[in-house]
Amino acid sequence: MHIKPFKDFKNDKIGVTGLVLILLLITTAILAPVIAPYDPWDYSAPAFQPPSGEHPLGTNDIGYDIYSELLWSLRTSILFGIAVAAIACTIGLVLGVSAALIGGMYDMIVMRIADALLAIPTIMILILIAAYFKPSTIVLVIALSLVLWQTTARGVRAQTLSLKTKLYVKAANNMGAPTSYTMHRHIMPELFPLYAMGFVTKARTAVFMEAGLSFLGIFDPTTKSLGIMMSYAMRYLYLDVWWNWLLPPVIALSLLIISLGFISYAIEEIFDPRLRRNNATPI
Amino acid sequence: MRNRAVKMVAAYLLTILFLLFLNFLLPRLLPGDAIIAMYSGHEMAMTEEVYEELVRMHGLDLPLHEQFLTYITQLAHGDLGYSYISNAPTAELIMGALPWTLLLVGTSFILSAIAGIVLGVESSWRRGGRFDRSLLTFMLLLDGIPSLALGIMALMIFCLHFGWFPSTGAMTPYSGAEGIGHIKDVLWHLVLPLATLTLSMIPGDYLLIRNSMMLTIREPYVLTARAKGIKKRRIKYLHAARNAILPFSTRIGIRIAYIITGALFIEKIFAYPGLGCLTYSAISNRDLPLMQGILTVSVLIVLLINIVVDMMYKKIDPRVENAY
Repeated sequence: MHIKPFKDFKNDKIGVTGLVLILLLITTAILAPVIAPYDPWDYSAPAFQPPSGEHPLGTNDIGYDIYSELLWSLRTSILFGIAVAAIACTIGLVLGVSAALIGGMYDMIVMRIADALLAIPTIMILILIAAYFKPSTIVLVIALSLVLWQTTARGVRAQTLSLKTKLYVKAANNMGAPTSYTMHRHIMPELFPLYAMGFVTKARTAVFMEAGLSFLGIFDPTTKSLGIMMSYAMRYLYLDVWWNWLLPPVIALSLLIISLGFISYAIEEIFDPRLRRNNATPI
Repeated sequence: MRNRAVKMVAAYLLTILFLLFLNFLLPRLLPGDAIIAMYSGHEMAMTEEVYEELVRMHGLDLPLHEQFLTYITQLAHGDLGYSYISNAPTAELIMGALPWTLLLVGTSFILSAIAGIVLGVESSWRRGGRFDRSLLTFMLLLDGIPSLALGIMALMIFCLHFGWFPSTGAMTPYSGAEGIGHIKDVLWHLVLPLATLTLSMIPGDYLLIRNSMMLTIREPYVLTARAKGIKKRRIKYLHAARNAILPFSTRIGIRIAYIITGALFIEKIFAYPGLGCLTYSAISNRDLPLMQGILTVSVLIVLLINIVVDMMYKKIDPRVENAY
């Protein structure tokens, strides 16, 4: 059966919804400095202003414009997600392929580390690391990437092992093609779905972790973050400001994670032929 | 089978090594001084005497291998260190919080697994139908709402707006209720944290079961069972689901790690006095010994559950016995 990823994706309503949503959110995040009406690090009006024409979502406890804060926080979340996803997937790809190609002791060590990582509550490790090293976004990006690579590595390794034994790869080898050639001609393209899938799911985890960790107070409190907004707004629940202060970051975070979830679901449907409805489609 | 056992033991050992690295080696490898790093957040006068006293107390004046030996011996005796912030042994603090977390996480795990399995089986049986499509969309939406957001929304709606449920704690303090009244009170406080944690876990279970069910209902033995005229419910749950559940049971360990993470936020939101709340206070007080203790305990719990699941796996899938 031949898979035409882009055409299939276009026909998948859930996937298209997710993609449109995420593109909208990313555009908003990129444009944040332009469309944010106020500087989110600066006092712009008296505290606890209700929403108005000048302040679409009102102001917070120290007079910052909530709408501007929201836009900048979205930017932080998306940047964090992309950075972690890119680093973690690359580590996973490199370790997975090398484990499959090198094999032996190296393979065993890499895979046992992957097994071990799977069962540890990642967030506890991040909390501890953040406590040792003091909150720094870069340290947390790296720490999170270092604990998220294993699912990709495992998938990539299994796929590479099975591809290695395929007739056309063997044929290329027998005709004297160097490993580097079979790698980029035959193996890498086949690994793309795994990479794409890993990227989206890891971005999703990273966005969630960023919000969660900043909600718990681990991040640098001067960065704008959805989690920090939530944790501050939670302190003023009794003032009845939750609908214009607490709710917006909650909705923004949910939309971001929902859209990534939709995309990963669509990718899985398209690339896992076993899940297709009509398995018998002719070429 | 032996191959599998060796692999698992290796993974467990690595996990424990990693834990030791995080708890023992990393603080000692940090650039600068461990004592300064540990106590820099606290308001105390760091005089020469205090500093030396602290160094001696933590045994940092001993050579590294002796420090390690002391650390391991203490750990083996259940001594997780001393929290100077709360002025209590870390183990004691953790043991006070652990039962609440176990109650919350355990109940939620069982409820979400049952709901996920039943909904997943029913959904895949009606694949492409209206029930399946609407449930799938709902689950994907629910899956997208992080436990953090779900908890905050539940708090806003049911505690603040309607005032139906209590917003903090695990029981009413000083109520003096005994017996049935006490149990009722505890359950009353459990409802919202449990509901949000369970709701956030269901979609994962559901999607997993739905996918694996979809593959099993195509198997010839399902067709045979239908041809024999066996009742639908029997085929669904005893023939197909029995096999579709396997990928679920291998992922129990991962799901436990997930659910502990979820509980961390839910407990903080509802001020439920479990490990999550304890972690939060450890973070805000920069209480490193307490954080290390919580990490140790949670990793050990996850490992223990994994070992139990591994031992039970033979029962769940008798084929693995002959597989190697």
